[in-house]
Amino acid sequence: MSLIPFSGTWTRSEAAHLLRRTMFGPTHQQITAIANMTMTDAVNQLLTVGLLNPPLAYDAGETVVAQGQTWVSSLYPSNPLSNQLCETARVKSLTGWLMQNMNYQAMDISQKMFFFWHNHFGAAFSSDARATYTYLELLRTSSLGNVKQLVKDVTVDPAMLIFLNGNTNSVQHPNENYARELLELFTIGKGNQIAAGDYSNYTELDVASGAKILSGYLVQGIRSSTLTAAQTLFLNPLHDTSTKTLSYHFGNATVANAGAQEYANYIDIIFQQPQVATFICTELYRFFVNYDITNDVEINIIPQLAQTLIANNYDILPVLQELFTSQHFYDVALRGSIIRSPLETVFSMLNSTETQINVNLATDYNIYLNIYYAAANMGLDFINPASVAGWEAFYLSPAFSRLWINSTTIKFRFDIATGLFIFGIPINGYTLKVDTIPFLNNLSLPSSAISVIDDICELFISKPVDPATHADLVNILTNNLPTFEWTLQYNEYLNNPNNPTFVDPVRYRVQLVLDRVFKMPQYQMI
Amino acid sequence: MKRRQFIKNVALTSASLPFVSNGFGMQALSQKLFNFSTGAEDRVLVMIRLNGGNDGLNTVIPLDQYANLMLHRSEIIIPQNQILSVTPEVGFHPQMQGMKGLFDQGKLSVVQNVGYPEQNRSHFRSMDIWTSGSLDVSETRGWLGRYFDSYNPNYPAGYPNVTYPDPFAISMGSEVTATCQGIAANFSHAVSNPNNAVNLYQGGFVNDGSYYGEHVEFVGTIIEQTNSFGQVIHAAAQAGSSLSAMYDPTNNLATQLKYVAQMISGGLKTKVYVLSLGGFDTHDNQADATNLQAGTHRGLLKTVSDAIAAFQNDLQLLGLEQRVVGMTFSEFGRQIESNASLGTDHGDAAPLFLFGTCIQSGIIGPNPTIASSLPDQAGISMQIDFRDVYASILRDWFQVPTNEVQQLFAHQVQFYSLAGTCNVSLEEQALANGSMLVYPNPTPSSVHVKVNLAEGRAMGELRDAHGATVKTYFDQNFSSGVHTIFCDMDGLASGTYFLVIRNNENTLLEQVVKMK
Repeated sequence: MSLIPFSGTWTRSEAAHLLRRTMFGPTHQQITAIANMTMTDAVNQLLTVGLLNPPLAYDAGETVVAQGQTWVSSLYPSNPLSNQLCETARVKSLTGWLMQNMNYQAMDISQKMFFFWHNHFGAAFSSDARATYTYLELLRTSSLGNVKQLVKDVTVDPAMLIFLNGNTNSVQHPNENYARELLELFTIGKGNQIAAGDYSNYTELDVASGAKILSGYLVQGIRSSTLTAAQTLFLNPLHDTSTKTLSYHFGNATVANAGAQEYANYIDIIFQQPQVATFICTELYRFFVNYDITNDVEINIIPQLAQTLIANNYDILPVLQELFTSQHFYDVALRGSIIRSPLETVFSMLNSTETQINVNLATDYNIYLNIYYAAANMGLDFINPASVAGWEAFYLSPAFSRLWINSTTIKFRFDIATGLFIFGIPINGYTLKVDTIPFLNNLSLPSSAISVIDDICELFISKPVDPATHADLVNILTNNLPTFEWTLQYNEYLNNPNNPTFVDPVRYRVQLVLDRVFKMPQYQMI
Repeated sequence: MKRRQFIKNVALTSASLPFVSNGFGMQALSQKLFNFSTGAEDRVLVMIRLNGGNDGLNTVIPLDQYANLMLHRSEIIIPQNQILSVTPEVGFHPQMQGMKGLFDQGKLSVVQNVGYPEQNRSHFRSMDIWTSGSLDVSETRGWLGRYFDSYNPNYPAGYPNVTYPDPFAISMGSEVTATCQGIAANFSHAVSNPNNAVNLYQGGFVNDGSYYGEHVEFVGTIIEQTNSFGQVIHAAAQAGSSLSAMYDPTNNLATQLKYVAQMISGGLKTKVYVLSLGGFDTHDNQADATNLQAGTHRGLLKTVSDAIAAFQNDLQLLGLEQRVVGMTFSEFGRQIESNASLGTDHGDAAPLFLFGTCIQSGIIGPNPTIASSLPDQAGISMQIDFRDVYASILRDWFQVPTNEVQQLFAHQVQFYSLAGTCNVSLEEQALANGSMLVYPNPTPSSVHVKVNLAEGRAMGELRDAHGATVKTYFDQNFSSGVHTIFCDMDGLASGTYFLVIRNNENTLLEQVVKMK
């Protein structure tokens, strides 16, 4: 198998697979829309990143801007206590906003690619919500752009400088933290240790030299009452002006003093190594296709993706185009090979049932915060990656995405389903519970029990379910009655759309079906 | 787990088993992990992972190196008069009152300078090495998972069962532990609160053999296990108790250890508990020599120290001290020189702690030597291989035969006496069988040898690694019975020696490691 273009028939099955992998839970209509396009148009449609409105103030701790206004370019209060309360309010706003974006996802890959890069760089919340926002927006807006430029931009971003101590790395006192992760996790990757301090692709000398090259930066304006943004400063007296030597892995290249431009020169040298493309493309493959890098994938798939990345000077868009239009991506053997992350678990429940939170400003943010904490309880604390390497489910062999599932987290997954679809989740006086009626009405043939279950399985389960499971679901929908009874019940509802006597039973049966689906092992995969 | 069940289990699974060898010639082991010959049946190991790379030099401070430490880390060093001296040469961080108390009671030991050859300073790779107990990148299993695998080749299919109703290991929190990763599944069961009951829907499913099918089966098995294990864990938590008043409810590690005590006292037969505490990657704001209240390291050490002290107190009150030993581990120590951020960068070896009444208490191994002038990025050199610590605990605590322990590790295992002080019956047995006991081993100065001699003449001497005699201790007549003899090793260079005792009947030989 190589990356030959997909040559089969473009059907709903392929469309659903593509959307499950590139979004946080597609809707039935989105699958229809994508299935009705050509594959090329569909992929091109998905490979876009739009603009987003910034997060809004909603919490009483925000004392600088008015409720409903954005704080992303605002000062902080000078009083230390108010300053802290304001930061807490902004963190809550930013966190809720990140969840809102996943809930209001456009029909494109942008939220998934954002997640990819956020996992790739692994930076946790900085101490200034404005800096965190700017950093995360850098990742999102650049997510389909040039990888080399993104690495450069991240390197001197205030939030990253703080996160990996680049802001205290000086000629007087080198701090290796960023220099090490730049090589190990962000660009070339660490290979086997083949000699003392030699990790196949770089050595401890490169880490030490990198720290010198990257010395001289400070961050100012953190939670400032006089500066509207965190800013990166380069100070020559803090910079190591010596000529740095890299190891034989970089052809013993030397990096001459170039002051504030030196980091970019160094990153250019790193990106001359083709291993960078292999490293990035392997990570992409694991994120979007399958954890298992088989011999065939290693020999035929990854090198071709890497070649495309290099040929396009590290623009990532052509790589994604090639991947998502390939025969390999749609291989039935690879369907359902990834276990849903906690966010995919929750947002598929919401997004695929067309549930968008829209109560009022403060309640919406509070609901999103609760969703955020639910995901954190299942192992995905989005704003605080498990480590700078990201979440283990994306890189730790041999279990990979299975690491999302254990006795604690599976119980939580089930509890969320019960809360959203059966009991409701009380949040600030509002009860969050999915209304399944609009969802049902948008399916292809709501009056047919068989068709409803077919649509639900297509939406939530990556491979056809076995007949016994399908029959179980039909029986839940019909309450073990013949299927025509469902048809009658649904038609009575259509004739009495405002009468609870007819609406509620229909709504409830669909709730029960979805609750069951989300507790099936088969649901846990995409 | 009863002995007769063990025999039954062997009968069921002793056929030649599929086993990934990783090129090390590891073989399928016919005996199970815990060969309960004498008292190991109810023994429990508690491991506490200090995630991020704990700064050993700010935890266990080599007092005899203080002047040179001042040269390299004056910005973060604890003032000398604040350090808690536990021996004339060794001090603890001032926040470690709890662990100092345990040390004074003989319930805590420090194993110094633990690491592995050619230290890897990546968090990720180094933690993989620590959890797998292997330097081989192709080893994907944990060191405990490898062992569990060897006699449970089909796990998780068919577990729990009548013989094994309880989880092999429990990982506190929402993640399973890599130490227990086996070929097909992880042997640890994640528990966030054992007081919560679970009863999850168990759907039917079909494994079609694809990646998807394998996942479906995996998730289905987890659901079944969660229900089964959940019931026994919940029952144990209900039956068990916790008696110590020392647990701080705001200390999450303490709360988790309290749950562990509760589960053990409630009769759960789980052998291994793994806990984790993050935050040790102190590149910045670790400590400030001019302001002892500043920095994050002090709080981390207090958390660890208070939690362990409370747990040990609880075990004492519950009458469980003879059944539990614990250890800490971290992926590496940190560099000797502090950086400009009041922090330290990734380094090499570091001390680890063992705790419990059955451990060999005291300071094991010499202080690290801090030179006045250091090369860039210098860390602490490793002297004791962490894999030997694991191996020694398997031997001493779980009484796994040494040949089986060796099969788990690719390197030549060096055993140390770390957790065998409760093995009285075993010791008597060993002496009766004509072997000798040498302690402490490794030793910074001298050793005692305990040996069962027949009446008559016997001779004792020390030989070096080449077989040359370097000291003769005795050549005299002995009465019949057990004798304890002091053997002076002062003035000898660090290295491996052999203590040899001969009489007319046979020759006894024991390896002794001198570390200074």
